[in-house]
Amino acid sequence: MLAKLTKHELYATGRIFLPLYSIMLLLSLINRGFSSIGELSSPFKTLKGFMVAAYVISIVATLVITFVIIILRFYKNLMSDEGYLMFTLPVKPSQLINAKLIVSFLWNILSIFVVATSLFIILGTSKNLEMFRGLLDLAVTGLKSTFGSSYPILIAEYIIMIFVCTIYQILMIYVSIAIGHLLNEHKVIGSFAAYIAINTIIQMLVSIIVLIWTNLELSIFTYTPYYGTTETITGNNVNYSVSIVQAITKQIIPFSIIFSVLCCVAFYLVTNYIFKKKLNLN
Amino acid sequence: MSVILECKSLTKKFGSTTALFNVNLSLERGKIIGLLGPNGSGKTTLIKIINGLLVPDTGSIKIAGMNPGVESKKIVSYLPEKTYLPDWMKVSEAISFFKDFYGDFEEKRAYDMLHRLNLDPTKRLKTLSKGTKEKVQLILVMSRRANLYCLDEPIGGVDPAARDYILNTIITNYDENATVIISTHLIADIENVLDEVVFIKEGSLVLHAPVDEIREKEGKSIDSLFREVFRC
Repeated sequence: MLAKLTKHELYATGRIFLPLYSIMLLLSLINRGFSSIGELSSPFKTLKGFMVAAYVISIVATLVITFVIIILRFYKNLMSDEGYLMFTLPVKPSQLINAKLIVSFLWNILSIFVVATSLFIILGTSKNLEMFRGLLDLAVTGLKSTFGSSYPILIAEYIIMIFVCTIYQILMIYVSIAIGHLLNEHKVIGSFAAYIAINTIIQMLVSIIVLIWTNLELSIFTYTPYYGTTETITGNNVNYSVSIVQAITKQIIPFSIIFSVLCCVAFYLVTNYIFKKKLNLN
Repeated sequence: MSVILECKSLTKKFGSTTALFNVNLSLERGKIIGLLGPNGSGKTTLIKIINGLLVPDTGSIKIAGMNPGVESKKIVSYLPEKTYLPDWMKVSEAISFFKDFYGDFEEKRAYDMLHRLNLDPTKRLKTLSKGTKEKVQLILVMSRRANLYCLDEPIGGVDPAARDYILNTIITNYDENATVIISTHLIADIENVLDEVVFIKEGSLVLHAPVDEIREKEGKSIDSLFREVFRC
C-alpha cells in the first residue's frame, strides 16, 4: 500500500513540479542562447533583460514553491476535506506520513539538482568550467591541509547532515500542522504557533547542551552548530587547530546529526499518535 | 443473522459537549437502516467512529468483529457529507484511485452508472457542480462490494429527481449480505426504502426498531413519528 500511496503522491505533486522545473530549464537554455549570440539589436536586448528576470524568478520560485507545496499538500490532502478520503483508505496512518515524507524528500533533493543543472546550462562555458575546476581543486587542497586524511569523512558527514536536515524540516512542518489541527478552531494559526514553539524549545535545548558541553571539555573554543558561528582562532597554533578539527568531525557534526535524528523520531511519533488517536477533521 | 456492527456503551465528548453518550447498538447484515435525528444529534460522530476518523472516549465498537482499522476499512464503504475528492482529478482518475486502493471496487459498475447519469469521465471534478460531485462520490462508494455502507446525508445536496435515482442506486447496488446505514433528516424521501430506523437524540439512542413494527404498533409513518419524538 505504501507503494501505491507514494505513486499517487508523486502523481499529485508531479503535475505541479515537473512543469515548474521544465520552465526553469527552458529559461536557462534561452538565456544561454542569448548570451552566446553576443551583440544584440535593441528590441532583443529588452527581450534578453526580460528573460534574465524571468529566469531569476523561476529559480526563486522553484526553491520557494517546493517548500510551499510540501506544506500545502500535507495540509490539504490530510487535514482538510480530502482527509476524509485519505484516512478511510485501508492503510495505516504511518503509511500516509511515510508516503508524503518520501515524496517531499525526493522533490526537495531534486529541486537542488534542477537548480544546479540550470546554473550549469547558463554558466557552463569552457572558461567558467575551467575556473570552477580550479576552485574545486583549491577547496580540496584547503580541506586536505586543515583536516588531513579525515576530509572525506567531513564531506560524508556534511552530505548526511543535508539529508537529515531536509527530513527534519519536513517532519517539523508535519508535526506542527498535526498539532495545530488538534484545536477545534484557528487550526492554521495553531500550526504556526506550534512551529514557533517547537523551534524555540529546540533552540533552548541546543543552547543548554552546548553550554554544558563547552564547560565540560572544550573550554578552548565555543562552537554552536545551530547558529553557525565559530569564534575566530587567532595565531597558527597547530595543536589548537587539530583539536578544533577533531571536534568538528568527531563531535560537533555527529552530535548535530544524532540530535536532529532524535528530533525527527519525536516529530514522527507525535504526528503518528495524533493521526491514530486524536484525528479531528472538520 | 450475523451482526455487522456492534457498539457497546459508546461515549464521545468534544470538550464539554457530549456528542455520543452510552450508545449500545447492534446492526445485522442485509438491512437498510435509517440513522435519523436532528442536526447535531451525533449521527455524523457515530459514522466517523465506525470509519476510524474519531476514537471513542469509552466503550467499544466492532465492525464484523473487528476494531476500526485497516482491516475494517477494507469492508466499509463511506460517503461523508463533504466533497472529499481532490478537485484537480478527472472523474476517471478518481475511479483509478478507488480501484487501486479498494480490492472490492468494480470499475465497470462505476462506468455504467456514470454513463446512465450522462456524466463525462474525462471531466475534471473542479468543473462539476456540487450536486454532480456528490453523484460522482456516491457512484464511487456504491461501486464497491462492501459489507457495510455508511452514507452520511447522501441526498442532502441533490435535486428530487436525482434523489430517486440515487436511492434506487443504493437499493440495487448492495447485496443481501451487506448493510446500508443512511444518515439523514430528510425522512419522507427515504422512508420507503428503510428496513429499520435508529433514532438518535442529543447523543443518546432513543429508538431502534424495524419500520414495519413501528407502522403496525404506532399506526403512523416514520416521518410523523420523527416529528413527534423530536418535537421542538
